[in-house]
Amino acid sequence: MAPAVIVLLVFTVFPFFFTIFLSFSNVNLVGGLSINFDGIQNWVRLLHDGRFWNSISNIALFVSLGVVLEYILGLSLAMLLRQKIPGREVFRVLFLMPISITPLAVGYMFRMLYHPSRGVFNNILSSLGLPTINFLGDPDLAMFFVIATDVWHWTPLIFLLLTAGLQGIPDSYLEAAQIDGANSWQRFRYIIFPQLIPTSIAAILLRSIEASKFMDKLYILTGGGPGISTETPTLFAYLSGLNNFDLAYGATIAMAFFVLVLVFFILTFLVITWFGLTQLGRA
Amino acid sequence: MVPRKVRLTLTYIILIFWSVMVLLPIYWLFTTSFKTRGAVIGGTKYLPWAQFKPTIQPWINIIEEETLVLSLTNTAVIASISAFLALLFGTMAAYGLSRYKFHFGFFQNRDIMIWIISQRMMPPIVTAIALFIMLKWFSLLDTRIGLIMVYVAFNLPIAVWLMENFFSQIPETLEEAARIDGASRLQIFGRIVLPLAMPGLVATFFLCFVFGWNQFLFALTLTWRNARTLPVLIAAQHAQAGPQWWRISAMTVVTIVPPIIISTYVREYLVKGVVATNK
Repeated sequence: MAPAVIVLLVFTVFPFFFTIFLSFSNVNLVGGLSINFDGIQNWVRLLHDGRFWNSISNIALFVSLGVVLEYILGLSLAMLLRQKIPGREVFRVLFLMPISITPLAVGYMFRMLYHPSRGVFNNILSSLGLPTINFLGDPDLAMFFVIATDVWHWTPLIFLLLTAGLQGIPDSYLEAAQIDGANSWQRFRYIIFPQLIPTSIAAILLRSIEASKFMDKLYILTGGGPGISTETPTLFAYLSGLNNFDLAYGATIAMAFFVLVLVFFILTFLVITWFGLTQLGRA
Repeated sequence: MVPRKVRLTLTYIILIFWSVMVLLPIYWLFTTSFKTRGAVIGGTKYLPWAQFKPTIQPWINIIEEETLVLSLTNTAVIASISAFLALLFGTMAAYGLSRYKFHFGFFQNRDIMIWIISQRMMPPIVTAIALFIMLKWFSLLDTRIGLIMVYVAFNLPIAVWLMENFFSQIPETLEEAARIDGASRLQIFGRIVLPLAMPGLVATFFLCFVFGWNQFLFALTLTWRNARTLPVLIAAQHAQAGPQWWRISAMTVVTIVPPIIISTYVREYLVKGVVATNK
């Protein structure tokens, strides 16, 4: 017990409070490290910083669209592979492959595929006689192709969780429904889907929490660009705090972002509880 | 109703389409690592031998390079030691939580558990800047030890959570029987609980290893030369003007292969763990 608590206190709890302190300070790295209390300067600056709110709206789009797509695709694939068809195991192993690939490597792989002139996607488009797309270079489009990368990477996780959830549904339920004359859509709508709700909520929450931290693939795909059109709060805090070495402001961004995330997930959790979907509490 | 044959064909079309989507980036990465500069710059070439002549030159180049060997060693050492320590501390905490009752005022076992897991919900950037300053104080920036300590804390919540799951599946009656036979607490833990929890220990170790191997933000923040890990190396190579795709691709292959192999092996345990927690 003790070592675990000590490790967490030193490397998680202390840094957390230290970050709060930093956000009210003025940190100077030139000529040795000096930290001075500075009041709410950083927070005032942050509230008026359009770049921060831009990053918040970017991550909101990234999480909501990304997780929805991942869920729809993951559910469809899990349902398709519920059928006992030849080659099922091969498909399963294949579909799960992306999960374990280093996020940064995924970013690099897609960076090559998206390349405007020698990338695969534009090559396919032009050989079909379609206009090519500047995937990551267009500020209006870049975020959608960043999201596509994340969908490729994490749909398999939803697929994995829902496959496990599907295995937990007793066959007798479905057989009974079949005898009563339910067609396959009705079996899905009235039996399978309701049974999957607890797993679905857990999967969506897990993915949303992870997705809100997004920066690794982004770092190599666009670096937040073009301009700041794909910048997420984590990347913004990293760039300000540890690239420009405005440590105090970086800490403020990170803390403000965390407060927003916390409020959002507490509200979500309350809503879930209100709807009586409390099975989640046991998960 | 749709005829069975049509439905099956449609199913296979979708499944094969998604398989191609999954494999395309991986295939592209592997083939690029066997291309010459000319084959990369000269357009989009898909098929070895037919469209470009494969070469092992990029591989020879990166193996001869000290930066890659150093980063590979760093990543392997940091990921395995931190996974081991996270497993050690995590197992102790998890066993304690599953077998003894703790009270710190109104704070009890379940609250401790939730507190530990909730650490994982916090975005790493919240602690990254503070950790940068802390490691600077102790002159541990850009050292393996510094990164190992940070990764242990990063992996601990997962380790405690998974191990608690595995321990709760071991019947306590076994331990009671041993106690009646006069076994000490340590003997019970070492001879009865640990062997039974072995599959869980192995799975948790490898999971933490993969997390450590793939971690990017902390590695980027806290290392740059001596303790630089593979993901950070790739990012740095890519940032150079006119990145050499063939070389970076070979490095990336080196980076992604170990986690893929390990995960295939650990998957069984993970699926079981997921099923267990959802019931």
